[in-house]
Amino acid sequence: MSSNTASSSAGSGDSSAARKNSKRPKYSKFTQQELPACKPILTPGWVISTFLIVSVIFIPLGVISLFASQDVVEIVDRYDNDCIPAPARTNKVAFIQGAAPKSCNRTLTVTKRMKQPIYVYYQLENFYQNHRRYVKSRSDSQLRSPKFENQISACKPEDDAGGKPIVPCGLIAWSLFNDTYTLSRNNTPLAVNKKGIAWKSDKEHKFGNKVFPKNFQKGNLTGGATLNPDIPLSEQEDLIVWMRTAALPTFRKLYGKIETDLENGDTIQVTLQNNYNTYSFSGKKKLVLSTTSWLGGKNDFLGIAYLTVGGICFFLALAFTIMYLVKPRRLGDPSYLSWNRNPGGGR
Amino acid sequence: MDKPPPHHESISSRWSFSSKDKEVTFADLGSKRIRHGSAGADSEMLSMSQKEIRDEDARLIYINDPDRTNETFDFTGNSIKTAKYSVFTFLPRNLFEQFHRVAYVYFLVIAVLNQLPQLAVFGRGASIMPLAFVLLVSAIKDAYEDFRRHRSDRVENNRLALVFEDNEFKEKQWKYIRVGEVIKVVSNQTLPCDMVLLATSDPTGVVYVQTTNLDGESNLKTRYAKQETLQKATDLETFDGFIKCEKPNRNIYGFQANMEIDGRRLSLGPSNIILRGCELKNTEWALGVVVYAGSETKAMLNNSGAPSKRSRLETRMNLEIILLSLFLIALCTTAAATAAVWLRTHRDDLDTILFYRRKDYSVRPEGKNHNYYGWGWEIFFTFFMAVIVYQIMIPISLYISMELVRIGQAYFMTRDDLMYDESSNSSFQCRALNINEDLGQIKYLFSDKTGTLTDNKMEFQCACIGGVDYSGREPAEIDGVTLKPKMRVRVDPSLLQLTRNNKATEEAKRANEFFLSLAACNTIVPIVTNTSDPNVKLVDYQGESPDEQALVYAAAAYGFLLIERTSGHIVINVRGEMQRFNVLGLHEFDSDRKRMSVILGCPDTSVKLFVKGADSSMFSVMDEESYGDVIEATKKQLHAYSSDGLRTLVVGMRKLNDTEFEQWHASFEAASTALIGRAGLLRKVAGNIETKLRIVGATAIEDKLQRGVPEAIESLRIAGIKVWVLTGDKQETAISIGFSSRLLTRNMRQIVINSNSLDSCRRSLEEANASVASDDEESVALIIDGTSLIYVLDNDLEDVLFQVACKSSAVLCCRVAPFQKAGIVALVKNRTSDMTLAIGDGANDVSMIQMADVGVGISGQEGRQAVMASDFAMGQFRFLVPLLLVHGHWNYQRMGYMILYNFYRNAVFVLILFWYVLFTCYTLTTAITEWSSVLYSVVYTSFPTIVIGILDKNLGRRILLSHPQLYGVGQRAEGYSTTLFWYTMFDTVWQSAAIFFIPLFAYWGSTIDTSSLGDLWTIAAVVVVNLHLAMDVIRWNWIAHAAIWGSIVAACICVVVIDVIPTLPGYWAIFQVAKTWMFWFCLLAIVVTALLPRFAIKFLVEYYRPSDVRIAREVEKLRSFSESQQNMGTEMNQIRDPPRR
Repeated sequence: MSSNTASSSAGSGDSSAARKNSKRPKYSKFTQQELPACKPILTPGWVISTFLIVSVIFIPLGVISLFASQDVVEIVDRYDNDCIPAPARTNKVAFIQGAAPKSCNRTLTVTKRMKQPIYVYYQLENFYQNHRRYVKSRSDSQLRSPKFENQISACKPEDDAGGKPIVPCGLIAWSLFNDTYTLSRNNTPLAVNKKGIAWKSDKEHKFGNKVFPKNFQKGNLTGGATLNPDIPLSEQEDLIVWMRTAALPTFRKLYGKIETDLENGDTIQVTLQNNYNTYSFSGKKKLVLSTTSWLGGKNDFLGIAYLTVGGICFFLALAFTIMYLVKPRRLGDPSYLSWNRNPGGGR
Repeated sequence: MDKPPPHHESISSRWSFSSKDKEVTFADLGSKRIRHGSAGADSEMLSMSQKEIRDEDARLIYINDPDRTNETFDFTGNSIKTAKYSVFTFLPRNLFEQFHRVAYVYFLVIAVLNQLPQLAVFGRGASIMPLAFVLLVSAIKDAYEDFRRHRSDRVENNRLALVFEDNEFKEKQWKYIRVGEVIKVVSNQTLPCDMVLLATSDPTGVVYVQTTNLDGESNLKTRYAKQETLQKATDLETFDGFIKCEKPNRNIYGFQANMEIDGRRLSLGPSNIILRGCELKNTEWALGVVVYAGSETKAMLNNSGAPSKRSRLETRMNLEIILLSLFLIALCTTAAATAAVWLRTHRDDLDTILFYRRKDYSVRPEGKNHNYYGWGWEIFFTFFMAVIVYQIMIPISLYISMELVRIGQAYFMTRDDLMYDESSNSSFQCRALNINEDLGQIKYLFSDKTGTLTDNKMEFQCACIGGVDYSGREPAEIDGVTLKPKMRVRVDPSLLQLTRNNKATEEAKRANEFFLSLAACNTIVPIVTNTSDPNVKLVDYQGESPDEQALVYAAAAYGFLLIERTSGHIVINVRGEMQRFNVLGLHEFDSDRKRMSVILGCPDTSVKLFVKGADSSMFSVMDEESYGDVIEATKKQLHAYSSDGLRTLVVGMRKLNDTEFEQWHASFEAASTALIGRAGLLRKVAGNIETKLRIVGATAIEDKLQRGVPEAIESLRIAGIKVWVLTGDKQETAISIGFSSRLLTRNMRQIVINSNSLDSCRRSLEEANASVASDDEESVALIIDGTSLIYVLDNDLEDVLFQVACKSSAVLCCRVAPFQKAGIVALVKNRTSDMTLAIGDGANDVSMIQMADVGVGISGQEGRQAVMASDFAMGQFRFLVPLLLVHGHWNYQRMGYMILYNFYRNAVFVLILFWYVLFTCYTLTTAITEWSSVLYSVVYTSFPTIVIGILDKNLGRRILLSHPQLYGVGQRAEGYSTTLFWYTMFDTVWQSAAIFFIPLFAYWGSTIDTSSLGDLWTIAAVVVVNLHLAMDVIRWNWIAHAAIWGSIVAACICVVVIDVIPTLPGYWAIFQVAKTWMFWFCLLAIVVTALLPRFAIKFLVEYYRPSDVRIAREVEKLRSFSESQQNMGTEMNQIRDPPRR
């Protein structure tokens, strides 16, 4: 504190030296705290119009959000349970870790016309891609450049295999999703485009085109998918998508895009390889086919929220108007001052 | 032992002796000074001559033998070092000092915890950055300040002084001066160190020093060299002797030592030492031996910093800080417990859960646990990680912001034009920087009178000569004299006529006698200075008592001009005729006799005794038989004077015949050379001679009220501040000042407690209490005197007094001793939680100023001790009004809001982080990047709150001054309370929930990635928190706009910058997410939803339950100011100064 004293006195000393004799503080609107200022106060007029304006903006926004959400057509198929043969369902973990064939057929029906592009997602639930242990287990510098291949300290316990660094290292890459879907419509194969599903910025700057997978999934425990060691990471879009860890425990990841329209009544046969082990933590796996709107996927929440807030604001505007009309108070009326309300009290 | 000095000098110089041995040099008629560390002159004398200074407590100084002096003891040299650091010690010492602050230690502990691998939440850089930043800024500031100190030290140390070396005086730099050396100081030179006088240019050994640098008093003080050393000092080579003196201490009014020369021992007192920093005046040269040098000098020992006090708001805030700590612990416990539950339920699957995978197979084929130590440890680690993540729940940065805000507030207070005092050319000073906001909560004001309410510029107003009153107030000019007094005095024309007529009427004779005694009977030193006109010289009267100065100026105005004073004689110009009077004896003022006297050998060879003193002590020594009627008339007149608030003195005289004189002379001689109890003996001698006096007259001096005092007191009273005036004056004087300062009004019932015994005191207090309790309509003034206070403060009557005083609208304590002042403040302070402020200007107010919650010093006439002890210093009493009502009000409101806001803004962020933990499997992942977490409280949101804390004003200056009642906001603690804290915290929970859950539901089950969502949360939090502040800002000037909007922009820029670093996981996330409509829809929904309840409730409260401040703001805004002034129905007072520019 004493140092502060010194500084402030030093400050005033400087300026007084400039004016030599008089210590009178130099006058300015700033030092007298009289800078021109706007001093808004909450008058009923302002408040009621603010609420009205908010409700006028929010209610239409809510309506168009709801419409956008309603426009989205989505087909969701949960298959994690059904794709385990009935006898094996008592011990799903043993089945998924075993060598038995894991192929599984699903049939989806299109109930409403879907315009292309139709996005194919896999949805995982109860999968904590945001687990602290998990999100930290990656090496971003290793992904960018072969120079930093050995920067694997953050990747434990999936950092090296037999003393050689794993590329890409870490739990995230290790647990890469490895269910695969093969789609056909009305018994004709339906092409799923797996290019362009990752962020362009990731492909160009974050994942190096000279970095190739090395020693990947060579450890004692195989987590998920393997990678083709001849394709650079920047082209491994499934990995890139996976490495953008999801914020929430229920999430979708883009698997591919169907670039033809699907008509109402179409049946889609899906042949899937059910490899991915979500059973040890009772996670759910779903296959999702969905179109998108300008606002994103199918989610009514935002629309409802906007309508609610808009409605409340409208109601408040109404209520305040009534209160204002019924029981107004003259602004700046000195009779409300505490020392005028009970005479002598303030003296 | 001390022998009587040889009697070989002329009689006049023999008499001059008397003044030489005086111990009392600081006594004055106003008797306003406290003597540090000694009970009085008497005991000081005794202790000095009888008590040996014990060897272990002493230092030995061999005169003119610095080598011998310094070989036995390790005395410091004379170089001073106010700088704290050198180049090498800077880093360690500065760091050490900075870590004295709890805030930094907290930062450090968190940063260290974070370095443990198991707990590493943030990266190294991110965790240390904020601490490093703060340390760096403070270090740069400290280094700069220290550099300035180094520079001034260097200048000081390289000044030159004349030091006796090798048989001649050589110039030597101050820093090389050693203890034991003999130094010659010439006129107008500053003393380089503390030294004992050996000889001076004056044959009697007197020197005059000005102690402005030491205690701020501009009057000259006299110091004496010992008679024994005067002769010897002419031959310094053979000077052989030593001084044994006490260890260095900071008491500038005390010094105790013995000097031994030629086997004789002399005792030395405070009048024999001159101190570093003083200036030699009116004396050609002085020789002294250095006893204390450098940092051991009294000046340096007194060079301490401002007192450290803690503001009430900050103390109150600690409770909420504890609450926040409990929240923090609760959050951390929740996180740790839920994490433990999850681990426990999944304990068998941990190896196979893809996002957990406990085992590291690269170590052993069967695997070894990686970073997992059993769930017990996991609880422990999770808890501490949570502490690290949620650390800003305890708003440590608040302490730093508060310091910055207070510096800013202090800047504006010191720059305030309204608080600049033209007459003393002093602006407001903030000495304590941590209690600015206390100024807004003052409930009790304790004020000194003289020098605080009044100017302490005494003005001679009336005289009563021979029972006749002369109080005409016509101004008159004195022309045609080449010598002019520096100050003009208004004279009574009839009296002037009387003195000039030179007629031998009885009246004229008395008048002449009266003014002669005024001119002669004092200790004033006249200093003749040249003016631009060579024919006119100004006489400036320097003395320690302002009353005496006023009297001498008055005498001068009536033609009795004191021109010269030496220790042996005085020269008075009596209407152009120089008259020389031998000063045969001088009995200085002491507080027991309450009078002083002088024995003069007049030009007509008669010997006269003049006595001047307080009326109570004078009438008892008058010759009542012969002059009874005159005494009665004078007494009556005196009563009238003191009812007018004038300070009165009575003058008496007596002609001494030869036998009387011889008798007195013998006993005076004996007393002044006595070794034991000298002061007591001298007092007795004085008492014996001061009898059977003839009354000459009485004087009345006005102690003028300072400008604006009545108005200031009135508006302080309207503001609900209880004003207590504590004064050393007589009851009548005090009451009259009370009326003229509007502390008392005619419709107040006065309760006077004026008792001489404990019982009567108790009785009158209890009666008073009963009468006050019975009717509460009437306003009551309590007047109590010092004697009664002794009984009150020493006994169990304090409570009764407090009760009576609480119900009184004004309290006046008269005849109060300095120590009682502190006692009264303590009495109030211990019985109420209300804030107390003490204001005073003199050394006698120091104890009171330090006792009160806020101490204000008036930098006026009486020196600087009060200012040195104060928290705030200013030039005039009336500045209290802008200080309290305007700045205090503002500072309190600002600080109260700022604390609440800082709690809120940090808690919002912590809660957002906490909610996320519930969705990350109870692990402490943060979606918000670690850099944003760190920068949030440093960059994203701190600047606006500091700016608003310095600049926002809830009301304008005009309205605050015209409606002092608005000050009640602070007294009722409306700006910060636990209730407000809880409201804020509920709002915090709501806002954090809105910020967190709207995106959560909107993005549930979508492809959103952690970084994008984190960026949304970051920006939403910053926008909401800043808009929340914006909603509460009252004055939007350009700085507020820049701070708030600038801070949002800065936050966005930071988020963008963080997201363009490719090696961070969040690369490019902000661009990806900001191009979706969803992002903006979420942001808009968050901002409106989060702030909606606050907005609505704020409006409802302000509209239907308006606070005084709100109403006043409406008045201000709607510009119906002048109209409403009439409507207010309360007294308005125009204490505003007229605009100066």
